[in-house]
Amino acid sequence: MKPFQYRAPTLLSEALSLLASAGQRARALAGGTDLLVQMRRGLISADLIVDVKKVFELNRLDFDPSDGLTIGAAVPLCRICESPEVARHYPGLVDALSIIGSVAVRSRATVGGNLCNAAPSADSIPALIVHGATCTVASREGTRQVPVARFCTGPGKTVLGPGELLVSVHVPPPQPRSGARYLRFTPRHEMDIAVVGVAAWLELSEGLSTIANARIALGAVAPTPLLAVEAGASLVGRTPSAGAFAEAAALAQRVAAPISDVRGTAAQRRHLVGILTRRALEGALQRARGAEPDGRQG
Amino acid sequence: MTAGAVGESVRRVDIEAKVQGRRRYPQDFSLPGMLHAVVVWAGYPHARIRRIDPSEALAVPGVLAVLTHEDVPVNEYGINIYDQPVLASDKVRWLGDRVAVVVAETLRAAERARDLVRVDYEELPIVDDPLEAMRPEATLVHEDRRSNLLKHIYVRRGNVEEGFAAADVIVEGTYHTPFVEHAYLQPEAGLAYIDDEGRVTVICAAQWPHDDLRQIAHALALPLEQVREVVPAVGGAFGGREDISVQILVALAAWRLRRPVKMVWSREESIRGHGKRHPFHMRHRWGATKEGRLTAVEIEAVLDAGAYASTSVPVLENAVSFLAGPYAVPHARIDGYAVYTNNAVTMAMRGFGATQPPVGYELQMDRLAEALGMDPVEIRMRNLLEPGSIAVTGNRMPAVTSARETLRAAALAAGWREEPQGWRRPGASILRASHLRRGIGVACAYKNVGYSFGFDDRSTAIVELALASDGSIQSALVRCAAVEVGQGVTTVLAQLAAQTLGLEVSRVRVALTDTAATPSAGSSSASRHVFMSGNAVVKACRQALEKRDAALREESGATRIVAEATFRGHDVRRTTAYDIVDGHCEPHISYSFGTQIAIVEVDIETGAVQVDRLIAATNAGTPVNPRLCLGQVAGGVHMGVGYALMEEFIQQKGQVRTARLSEYHIPTVADMPRELESIFTEVPDPDGPYGATGLGETPTLPTAPAILNAIHDATGAWITELPATPERVWRALRGVPAQPAAPARRPCP
Repeated sequence: MKPFQYRAPTLLSEALSLLASAGQRARALAGGTDLLVQMRRGLISADLIVDVKKVFELNRLDFDPSDGLTIGAAVPLCRICESPEVARHYPGLVDALSIIGSVAVRSRATVGGNLCNAAPSADSIPALIVHGATCTVASREGTRQVPVARFCTGPGKTVLGPGELLVSVHVPPPQPRSGARYLRFTPRHEMDIAVVGVAAWLELSEGLSTIANARIALGAVAPTPLLAVEAGASLVGRTPSAGAFAEAAALAQRVAAPISDVRGTAAQRRHLVGILTRRALEGALQRARGAEPDGRQG
Repeated sequence: MTAGAVGESVRRVDIEAKVQGRRRYPQDFSLPGMLHAVVVWAGYPHARIRRIDPSEALAVPGVLAVLTHEDVPVNEYGINIYDQPVLASDKVRWLGDRVAVVVAETLRAAERARDLVRVDYEELPIVDDPLEAMRPEATLVHEDRRSNLLKHIYVRRGNVEEGFAAADVIVEGTYHTPFVEHAYLQPEAGLAYIDDEGRVTVICAAQWPHDDLRQIAHALALPLEQVREVVPAVGGAFGGREDISVQILVALAAWRLRRPVKMVWSREESIRGHGKRHPFHMRHRWGATKEGRLTAVEIEAVLDAGAYASTSVPVLENAVSFLAGPYAVPHARIDGYAVYTNNAVTMAMRGFGATQPPVGYELQMDRLAEALGMDPVEIRMRNLLEPGSIAVTGNRMPAVTSARETLRAAALAAGWREEPQGWRRPGASILRASHLRRGIGVACAYKNVGYSFGFDDRSTAIVELALASDGSIQSALVRCAAVEVGQGVTTVLAQLAAQTLGLEVSRVRVALTDTAATPSAGSSSASRHVFMSGNAVVKACRQALEKRDAALREESGATRIVAEATFRGHDVRRTTAYDIVDGHCEPHISYSFGTQIAIVEVDIETGAVQVDRLIAATNAGTPVNPRLCLGQVAGGVHMGVGYALMEEFIQQKGQVRTARLSEYHIPTVADMPRELESIFTEVPDPDGPYGATGLGETPTLPTAPAILNAIHDATGAWITELPATPERVWRALRGVPAQPAAPARRPCP
């Protein structure tokens, strides 16, 4: 690893000035579970590391029934998963955040880091997408909002420009009669990277008989996590049924554009998109009806 | 008086220091004035080296030397034959070949300079498939040999044509096992320096330090007395530390530069730089009568030996003796081939040629059972070797032959019943979901204890007693270079000494392995230390007691007694090499047997397999330390689960595709069977110390075939290529429709 400057500001303005001062040669450090590994391996080099763990705005974890959930970009995953409010109102998020890495990794790693690392297989991103989450991005010039679904632009690439910092992620307030589920498939149970990840979110109509709204997002089957728009739309207005879920699963398979690599072939990935979409929809439906699905993944 | 003696689960003698982080592993050692060395690895899996230009690297400030083949006095090494260059000279044959070593004042300087060593290569065609490599026109990995065939070993017993003619049913199968990475916790590391007696001393992890000395001394052209190896705490070995890794490189650098030199491999270098478990291609043809008795077996196995011989020949020898399984069969034709390729070197790994065969022979057994409509336990009971049986190699099996006891114990624990008409499997159980199928699978396996085929296997121990004035023993020191690689041998040797001397185990100390202070115990492999070094320690203790008694009789006033004893495998059983005509021999000194029964759940939509319950019945003779034995079983099953379901070191055209542990999956605790039940059958080995024998490898052997047989029981699909990844299972299952939940499609517990 090459030598670099390390700064740990406490004020957001200071962090933004530091990032602006070094431009492309600066990197923000939160948990470091991706950044440090990539620096050691020589994949990333930086002159300035801005540790953002001391910045107040990046360490908020606030829930308000009418405002929703705000997750500071530097909040470690374990803190989010251990929050009773997150567990109660966003179990579909906990599905995703509680299976990233190991206990040790989750006590360092952050949602902000998972987003900025922009891996196609990032577990948090499909779950955030189906919840309709938005990123707050700041720079010295000001602040802008970017939907999570548009945050990643390619493997390892995001919308962040030089001097910009992901401050927080905002998840809209929980809707009544709604439920979400994230499932991933990995060859081993823990400490693994998704071969396929699928998040589903359903909102039922008042009588619980039809689907009022639905979103499905896929991970590890395209250069970025993907919102499967048509798959979700196909469910709107329909009665939840095996047939409707199978149709949505087939539409999800159609937008998936997987590659073959050491983790799995494209054919297996496409097949798994179908299975996991159906299972995630079943889990989301159970939650929308107030029940808890079987806890096992995949 | 003998608290902590044989049969007690005393606490490991090294555990406190390890848990508290006080024990030092090789990379924890440093010395003043120490230099850092890094390897320049082969740039291609097969290429001619035209020129090595170190000038740019040498210009980096802090760089002292770039060592190449020209700096190695005798540029060859190898555990069995010297076919491996210390530093590649004319060509590289795999990506793990070392081309140069950069030595610098700092690690950063060494790493920077490594990228500046210019090596001019001429790429050569690659041979990466052992079956292709056997063709006469194949590219030669070693041009001084006429072919890539390293060794062919065979057994001819009876007349297989006659045997197949007598068969009512014949089953055939082909099986493939992958390269497997040892993935020990501690990557290779070493520190070399010149000690005060002028010896090149290497601190490193090893399995047989005295054998390392032979290879270091040979390469450096030094007398044996001028090299020394010290082995501190070792973070796992599993066979992967039998071969030389950093030893000669750091010794060479320290000898040339007359300063301490340290080398630490990264995980990626470790995976690239050390050998793997041999992949086997196996073809089986078995015949049996309608009563389920074997009449003939015909087996062919091709082993990928990789770029250099390493221990491929003895692995092949072992494999050929085990390929037909622990069964009595009158007619056998068995052929095994080890073939050079440009793939990773293949070497010892937990089982040493006994791990791959059960994947073939135990699936064959279940195929026979299915063809005959017989219970899988019953058909095995009808064929298993017992004491006095003649094995395929023509030898008579010894008293410790306990295959039946392990099968009986495992079967009973799994719910089998022994009825007048034979063994019967347990009934059906309820499933949790419609996409799950449950199945149960049985597998038996066995393994030699000690070095085989005529090798003069021996272990030497020195015991020093400190006596009080009345002649009572105050404490004992055991000197024996049996390397503690995590298996618990230090504790077991202390217990055996305590038992023999009538001492509390806390009064026995086992010296750290140092070739200058501890005599050779042979290798920490072949499940051999309990048997070989255990016997040596007991023998030395008995001699020490005799000397003590004599001293008392003579009233010599001695306060210190020293006794040295060597235990030789030959004294128990004189093993022999394969006969040139029919392959008959006395293969092994002693044996360990085990049976496992796996109950699995298969997700038929994704192909994912979860082992729900695993019953492991193992014979360790009389266990010296039951808790340590359980540790060996749990660790063995863990490796077996990885072998069965996920571990596969993948190379394409000689390039590594699983270069990191995020790509090469080993199981975590979450992948272990939800329930693991370990049973020790305790059939004593009359030749072992207090009836004990080795069990380090046996528990890993039956796991994979038991799981494969359970997958078949659950789904009807035969998975014949390891690992049974979700994708392989899913592909094998395509066309198997989803069915409603409970009861299970086939009866199982």
